[in-house]
Amino acid sequence: MTRPKCETVRLIKRRDLKNDYFSFTFAPFSAADKCRPGQFVHLKLPAGEVYFRRAFSVASVETSCGDLELIVKVVGRGTRILAALRRGDATNLLGPLGQPFKLPRRRERVVIVAGGVGFPPLLFLAQKLIDRGHDPKHILFFYGGRSRSDIIERSRIKKLGVDLRIATEDGTLGEQGLVTKPVKTFLQKYGDNCRIFACGPEGMLKAVNELGLALHVPGQLSLEAPMPCGIGVCLGCVVPLTAGGHARVCCDGPVFQIGEVAL
Amino acid sequence: MTPDMKVMIAGVEFDNPVLTASGCCGYGEELAQLYPLSKLGGLVTKSITLEPRLGHPPPRTAETVSGMLNAIGLANVGIEAFIREKVPFLAKQQTRIIVNVAGATIDEYVEVSRRLNDVAVLDMIELNISCPNVDQGGIQFGSDPYLTEKVVAAVRAVFARPLIVKLSPNVTSIGDIASAAEAGGADAFTVMNSVIGTAVDIDTRRPRLTNNKGGLTGPAIKPIALAMVDAVHSRSRLPIIGVGGISDWRDAVEFFLCGATALQIGTALFVEPEAPLKIVHGLKDYLRKNKMKSITDLVGRLEKY
Ligand SMILES: Cc1cc2nc3c(=O)[nH]c(=O)nc-3n(C[C@H](O)[C@H](O)[C@H](O)COP(=O)(O)OP(=O)(O)OC[C@H]3O[C@@H](n4cnc5c(N)ncnc54)[C@H](O)[C@@H]3O)c2cc1C
Ligand SMILES: Cc1cc2nc3c(=O)[nH]c(=O)nc-3n(C[C@H](O)[C@H](O)[C@H](O)COP(=O)(O)O)c2cc1C
Ligand code: FES
Repeated sequence: MTRPKCETVRLIKRRDLKNDYFSFTFAPFSAADKCRPGQFVHLKLPAGEVYFRRAFSVASVETSCGDLELIVKVVGRGTRILAALRRGDATNLLGPLGQPFKLPRRRERVVIVAGGVGFPPLLFLAQKLIDRGHDPKHILFFYGGRSRSDIIERSRIKKLGVDLRIATEDGTLGEQGLVTKPVKTFLQKYGDNCRIFACGPEGMLKAVNELGLALHVPGQLSLEAPMPCGIGVCLGCVVPLTAGGHARVCCDGPVFQIGEVAL
Repeated sequence: MTPDMKVMIAGVEFDNPVLTASGCCGYGEELAQLYPLSKLGGLVTKSITLEPRLGHPPPRTAETVSGMLNAIGLANVGIEAFIREKVPFLAKQQTRIIVNVAGATIDEYVEVSRRLNDVAVLDMIELNISCPNVDQGGIQFGSDPYLTEKVVAAVRAVFARPLIVKLSPNVTSIGDIASAAEAGGADAFTVMNSVIGTAVDIDTRRPRLTNNKGGLTGPAIKPIALAMVDAVHSRSRLPIIGVGGISDWRDAVEFFLCGATALQIGTALFVEPEAPLKIVHGLKDYLRKNKMKSITDLVGRLEKY
């Protein structure tokens, strides 16, 4: 595992996506080329309203120039401060942190399940797999949200050439209902030789976990937890394991195998 | 000239006076990923109990204004696994190792300390009689002078190296507790553990911690910690390791002036893992600018009104 770096970086690019989503590109981050899908950075906000750093998954990297992209949804005080950053502003990044997704073998079919703000690490994963020669047609990208406005970067995903399947709860885009519904239908039919990669709200992860177990499809889930330190020293981010005991989401995870965590 | 950063506590020399606090640096492995631990004056392990403990169920931390609440509940690997799995790593580190000891009963404190007596790499133990997050032990001992003296004396009898006692601010008179610990045979004090507090989620109308309350730490408690260091310093001549809300070298200078010989950095590590190194650097600059030769020249030099 690469050692995390703690560095001051600048915001070199920001894009305001719809519905309180933002894409931020920071540079130069010397560990950008070491970041693997599923890993995250801990971002320090200007001193003031919030005390802790905030965790964000790596959404993409441009290794030649040390660019690191985060895709962030504004949900509270910290993310609101972040959304106010302007180009050229400095911040401090600690990372890459956490265990990345274990990549599938090239012949395995990849079933990505993204829910809402769980999208960024899976975008990175899909990109990485394709860069490494995985056939995009063997990557199913299930993407769910409450409504049309929760589905971001659609054209970017399409450009990857993956098989994108959208579901919205209100039916304003793609299939109507929870994203786990089409996932289930697919896995029941074609579950052999599939690997699941999921990140999203707790309810979705729970459903995917159960699906994987019931249909015997292996896979990995990326979890979230409030993280005081992000490096494994405070024991604040723990989740219970099915085998008993606790695991730290920040460093034993955030990626866990299906069935590993008592969700 | 580079100022002398060495300090002595109970006959143990520290290369610099900035240590990491118990519960905020695990058993050292994670911080060592970020920088060599030899840059620290020393490291205090997470509290060790006789048996492994899982701690309280999550959520067990909550962010607050200028700090945080925690009710981890002394989650730790237990003395056996500590010696088997953690000590070999610690033995390779070029820094002072202090093992923090906790227990539910005097017997537990004694048994853990007795086993640690055989562990050569550790320089001292720090007795945690001030944890606010467990039903038994912890602060129960640290808030009663009689029990304080009793537990300290019992550990003193089985542990041959220096013994630090970590005090709680949640007492009527921290001076009385310090005196009792000194009478029991303490060699130094760590001042202080976290301050009891809680926070409420107004939507669910439930506490933000499953333990219902926790310990407040971080910048929010610095003024309390300074007053506690001062109170113990005016009561006892034993060396004091100051801890509570220290984020930068300016905070550090305040603690030395109030009577601390060394410091521990806790919560600040979560935001700035390299905080101890920056503090050492800043302290050196401060000494240089003020034409002081040694960090010890600062200790207790508060000019009171
Ligand atoms: C490993 C990891 C990767 C993440 N990746 C992304 C990402 O790529 N993009 C993104 O937009 N967000 C991501 N998050 C979530 C992000 O960290 C939180 O949204 C952020 O910390 C909220 O900060 P805030 O100050 O705006 O919210 P606060 O004001 O602190 O809280 C607002 C709400 O968010 C909840 N919350 C706070 N912190 C977290 C947290 N760490 N995890 C879950 N819920 C939280 C609170 O309970 C509250 O309901 C990730 C979290 C983790 C742990
Ligand atoms: C998450 C967390 C866990 C802690 N665990 C312990 C512990 O196991 N034993 C102990 O004596 N103190 C423990 N402490 C208290 C710290 O060692 C320190 O006394 C306190 O945090 C005040 O310092 P700070 O404001 O610099 O954090 C813990 C503190 C935090 C934040
Ligand atoms: S956030 Fe501190 S241990 Fe995971």
